[in-house]
Amino acid sequence: MGKIGRVDVLRAPPGTRAALLGNEAIARGVIESGISVVTGYPGTPSSEVIMTLHAYRAHELGIYVEWAVNERVAFEITYGASIGGARSMVTMKAPGANVAADPIVSAAYGGVEGGLVIYIADDPGPHTTQTEQDTRWFARMAGLPTISPIDPDEARKFVKVAIELSEALKLPVILRSTTRVAHTVGDVVFGEATEPVKYRGFKKDVKRFVRAGMSWNRERHAWLLQQLRRAEELAVGKGLVSSEGSGEYCVVCEGVSCGHLKEAMRSLGEGEAEKIKVVRLGMVNPIPREWVKKELGGCSKILVLEELSPYLEVTLKAALHGLDAEIVGMEEGIIPSVGELNPAHVTAALNSFLGRPTEAAGTEVQDRAPPRPPPLCPGCPHRNSFVALRFGLAKAGYSPSKVPVFGDIGCYALGVSPPLEAIWTEHSMGASISMAAGLKIGGFEGPVVAVIGDSTFYHAGLQSLIEAVHKRIDLLVMILDNDIIAMTGHQSTPAWARTETGREARPVKIEEVVKAIGVEHVYIVDPYDIDKAIEVVKEAVKKPGVKVVIMKHPCALWEARVKGVKAVYRVLPEKCTSCMACVRVTGCPALYVAEDGKVRIMEEDCTGCGLCARYCPYDAIIRVERR
Amino acid sequence: MAERILNILIASVGGQGGLTLSRVIAAAAVAEGLSVRTGETLGMAQRFGSVMSFVRIGEDVTSPLFGPGEADVFIGMELVEALRRIHYVRKGGVAVAALTLKPPVSSSLGIAPRPSKEELVEELREAFPSIRFVDAVGEARKLGNYRAANMVLLGYVNGLVGILKDESVEAGISAILRPKAVETSIRAYYRGKELAKE
Repeated sequence: MGKIGRVDVLRAPPGTRAALLGNEAIARGVIESGISVVTGYPGTPSSEVIMTLHAYRAHELGIYVEWAVNERVAFEITYGASIGGARSMVTMKAPGANVAADPIVSAAYGGVEGGLVIYIADDPGPHTTQTEQDTRWFARMAGLPTISPIDPDEARKFVKVAIELSEALKLPVILRSTTRVAHTVGDVVFGEATEPVKYRGFKKDVKRFVRAGMSWNRERHAWLLQQLRRAEELAVGKGLVSSEGSGEYCVVCEGVSCGHLKEAMRSLGEGEAEKIKVVRLGMVNPIPREWVKKELGGCSKILVLEELSPYLEVTLKAALHGLDAEIVGMEEGIIPSVGELNPAHVTAALNSFLGRPTEAAGTEVQDRAPPRPPPLCPGCPHRNSFVALRFGLAKAGYSPSKVPVFGDIGCYALGVSPPLEAIWTEHSMGASISMAAGLKIGGFEGPVVAVIGDSTFYHAGLQSLIEAVHKRIDLLVMILDNDIIAMTGHQSTPAWARTETGREARPVKIEEVVKAIGVEHVYIVDPYDIDKAIEVVKEAVKKPGVKVVIMKHPCALWEARVKGVKAVYRVLPEKCTSCMACVRVTGCPALYVAEDGKVRIMEEDCTGCGLCARYCPYDAIIRVERR
Repeated sequence: MAERILNILIASVGGQGGLTLSRVIAAAAVAEGLSVRTGETLGMAQRFGSVMSFVRIGEDVTSPLFGPGEADVFIGMELVEALRRIHYVRKGGVAVAALTLKPPVSSSLGIAPRPSKEELVEELREAFPSIRFVDAVGEARKLGNYRAANMVLLGYVNGLVGILKDESVEAGISAILRPKAVETSIRAYYRGKELAKE
């Protein structure tokens, strides 16, 4: 035994056993399946595939692996690579698939030459996603074969399966995971690596790749349907569907629900598990209808275990229509329709299904602990930006609580919590600017503000800004530029001169883009210089048309990691009057109230921004150099 | 509970090292030839939010989750979070909490109660009388890095329960932590083990 050291996820030999996160296992799958182009846009719970490829330097193995500006661009890059024969993968969270939907749907008609895997991570719960969106319906709408692994090791294997299916069917294949696969650590055993497969030729074929011809599109639609019928055969041939046991009572599972089921069946009494036939669907679109009829045709009762929506249940009810089986699941309330599935739900569903007494579910325990919604980090420059916005609006003569602030997707959305309570909406990538414009167009007369982060601005804010500028909307846009994609774990943005792989890049500067779009009033200020930032907001908000304030300061966590923390702040208890101004203005999680009723600072969490000291009326907070 | 699966719940505040602790246990379990599943919620709760990690190790683990009252081992890295999750430990299970208090912003603002360390310890004892407390941060700081508090706690519970062999834990630590943190972490682990005997 002894020390094993770090396992090189990309280079370790076949047979290596390691404890990997689902997404890390997928990164290993990239190496095992000959993928040569990987791109995507960060989104929890999908980001660690590319982060792992970066951490272990996949580019040195001849693989292109870079973040793209958004999911649609990322998908189109992989699509272009794949029609030239390269094997590729694009990664995104479920809402990213909405952004990329247009090119993905058309790609089902054009098809691919090199295998193309679209990795989409769903988030039952939801833990970190705006909706409980179910990618399986999207897959059916687009007409793309979709496979869904049950655990990290199968996620690794399924990358290769997806590439094989993709090349056999000449269609992009969706590899779909959920949080409990993507963010679960499991024991994984490595397979053989495959050389990256790059460009193999691109033949001009307009019927296939030009979607302007309507009769061609009818032909391609017919082709797609034929390929999907072949996919049903391949699902069986490749063992993507399987069954175990026999009996009239049948349970259908998919993804992590199969893992919950296996353990729930062990907890049934002697002889009970033997009554159940388990049918496992690793391919969720299309469903192999003939096989399903054969396997489930003899069942009198069928329980369907799944998350997010009754997708499989509805599909099976249609496929098995006319047979005697009673099919139950989410639609009958046997398993929950909202939130994620857990083993207790599965056990309860099995008991109810088998007509056994169900143990009373444990009573919900009242949470006695004070709530801890995620705050902005200590030193977060967004906090300063929000404070500057509030005081700047006040100085300009507006009541800050009456000025609608349209937020966007990113860390700054955490400014919704007290005491900042800084945003009124957070909707979808880039929506801050267009929704703010919409309120004005709808007739709102006062000032409106849109707040958007740098990477969200590149991703989808640009077009919104063009629209607002073109229509001459009166609107204050604050771009919170922390020079990184922070919320998803610190990825590069188009402003970087060098990407994670060391690739030299041409920085695309926000101020240049904004000016080129035609914004006349552009301000750049460091929100750590809080008094100046307040003055800038005060001046900008009065200007006509679209004005942009770029609040520029690096992410505090990143800055602390790169530069270290040179000084922190400390409260002098003898000077603190317990007025709470520091806490109420900043809501910084490094501040707390000690038993003497006075404020203290957790110095190991403080990054030394000094905002609390700035708002202490009694000079009771001092700067302390770190030794 | 299936006999050969051990459920561990880790309650922490984002940034404390709760996720690292869960990964070290997972890597150690695999080094020992066991199967493992963890349930993490990475992402936005990571920084200063409430974090809960499920770790399950055993012969043939297939689900990453378990329910309230099913944890064999409970590790609270912070007292408020320990109180929030203590109902996960089963009767007869083992619970350990660090004597660390990181009051949430809601407490500081006065919109939620502001329990003291002593009150939290008392409430936790009421909820689970056999819970033990360790000054994990203090011990880790003595060894040179307060961040190794998670490894002090790991040593402590492993000293009490004997989940994993020492060499597996060392393998787990060297697989997961940055090379420069490995030595202190291993020392912190053994210090925690010693404390469990006291």
